[in-house]
Amino acid sequence: MSQHDRTHHAKIATGKGDPQCFKGTTGGPPKFKVGDRVRIKDLPDIFYTRCQVYTRGAVGEVAVITHESPAPEDEAWGHVDHSEWFYIVRFKQKDLWPEYPDAFGNDSLQTEFSERWLELA
Amino acid sequence: MAELNTTAPIDDLVAEAANWTPVSLLEQIKEQGRTWVDLAVDYGVTNPDPPWKTSLDGMCEVLAAGTCSSMAAVEKGWLAGDTDRSTLEGAPPLPLLERRWEEDALSETLYQDVPYPERQLLALVHSLIKRGLVKEEDLAARMKQVHERLAAE
Amino acid sequence: MSHDHHHGHNPPAPMVDEVSDFEALEIAVRELCIEKGLFTADDHRKFTEFAEHIGPTPAARMVAKAWLDPEYRKLCLTDSLTACKAVGVDLLNPTGFGTPSDYTDVRVLEDTPTLHHVVVCTLCSCYPRPILGFQPEWYRTPNYRRRLVRWPRQVLAEFGLVLPSEVEIRVEDSNQKCRFIVMPVRPAGTEGWTEDQLTEIVTRDCLIGVALPKPGMTSNIKLPVHKAAKPAH
Repeated sequence: MSQHDRTHHAKIATGKGDPQCFKGTTGGPPKFKVGDRVRIKDLPDIFYTRCQVYTRGAVGEVAVITHESPAPEDEAWGHVDHSEWFYIVRFKQKDLWPEYPDAFGNDSLQTEFSERWLELA
Repeated sequence: MAELNTTAPIDDLVAEAANWTPVSLLEQIKEQGRTWVDLAVDYGVTNPDPPWKTSLDGMCEVLAAGTCSSMAAVEKGWLAGDTDRSTLEGAPPLPLLERRWEEDALSETLYQDVPYPERQLLALVHSLIKRGLVKEEDLAARMKQVHERLAAE
Repeated sequence: MSHDHHHGHNPPAPMVDEVSDFEALEIAVRELCIEKGLFTADDHRKFTEFAEHIGPTPAARMVAKAWLDPEYRKLCLTDSLTACKAVGVDLLNPTGFGTPSDYTDVRVLEDTPTLHHVVVCTLCSCYPRPILGFQPEWYRTPNYRRRLVRWPRQVLAEFGLVLPSEVEIRVEDSNQKCRFIVMPVRPAGTEGWTEDQLTEIVTRDCLIGVALPKPGMTSNIKLPVHKAAKPAH
């Protein structure tokens, strides 16, 4: 087992919390704003993902800009020097599921994405 | 009803898990071990959880705690088929999603008849053994010692 | 059998007097992990303390307070860390940063008469444990996680919750670091109630969104998730 500093996280996050400890680390403003219509990119699945398959290619609306944090898909193994803005995107259920009944046309679903998964629709 | 691919690897994992070699020590415990639902009734204890539950939860967390989001990097590597962790700085021994997905798969296969907290424990130990982080023989020996130690108190 | 008379003392609370194989396994695996350097006893203790600090649904009191105090309601929506502290939960304690499961960005989803939220984590069962306690077993099952996102009305109906089509059901799939609780609409029939009375009807199921609060309903649904392999008797 390689030696490493397991206390690193505690040192940077104590007192602030995680993800709060990453505030300011993207070095810039969020690319998208609340209300933007965005499409979920279907990035290749060789990347680890917390981006659910059922959202790929779907179009929704940015509902909340939540926080900055390293993306789970961070390519630098064990490094946390790259952060992204995170967004809650809201979809109409009938845009996600082909058989979703029109009778419940108001129903929605929202879930969170890091910036790399989004593009303006 | 078609299987939903909402959690990509889980369905594949479950299918795979059906072929996982059972761990004999864990099978033995599964068959003979007294679960909390039975113990609590027999002794008239109303606590919904066994006394070791919080320690188990502590173990699940501490095994997943790496240096911040490095846990995600390990999960990525695992999904890509890479299981060599020796090169990873700050890699947690057993990242969260990895453990949870295996727990899900084991809960639908080998440990499907085991009540929840015991199932979570068996799955955790199974995951550790599978990765070579603990050895079945060492566990069996230690358990024997623990029983003797506690019986002597 | 003779009786011991404990003058003035209550009989001791019942205790389980045997060490199960599961209990022995937990101790054994923990000791071996520490010996192999997978974690330290100290770190394990911290996370165990975190689990032990988790009391019964402080979030219920957050909702009750929010119903009674518009300023606190606003606080819940804008500064959840402070709102949690007001009900005795410091999300930064004792680890200082949450845990790999919990993090510290809690969001309150406010229901209206035409909008109802329900929370799920399709990936693994993330849940705001410090303010809501531990997940009910059904919340952890792939059965709930897979189905709620696609058939929310059917799944809610299984919990006994049927909502008119004019009400928007909004599923929150909690897949990243944010953690969510639902703030339901205050039900009719609770006029003049105290904070304690209101807290009692905000059950864990209401805070997840699979139930609506009602006067007189103070317990959660009991779903048979698992048949016992060895029934008690």
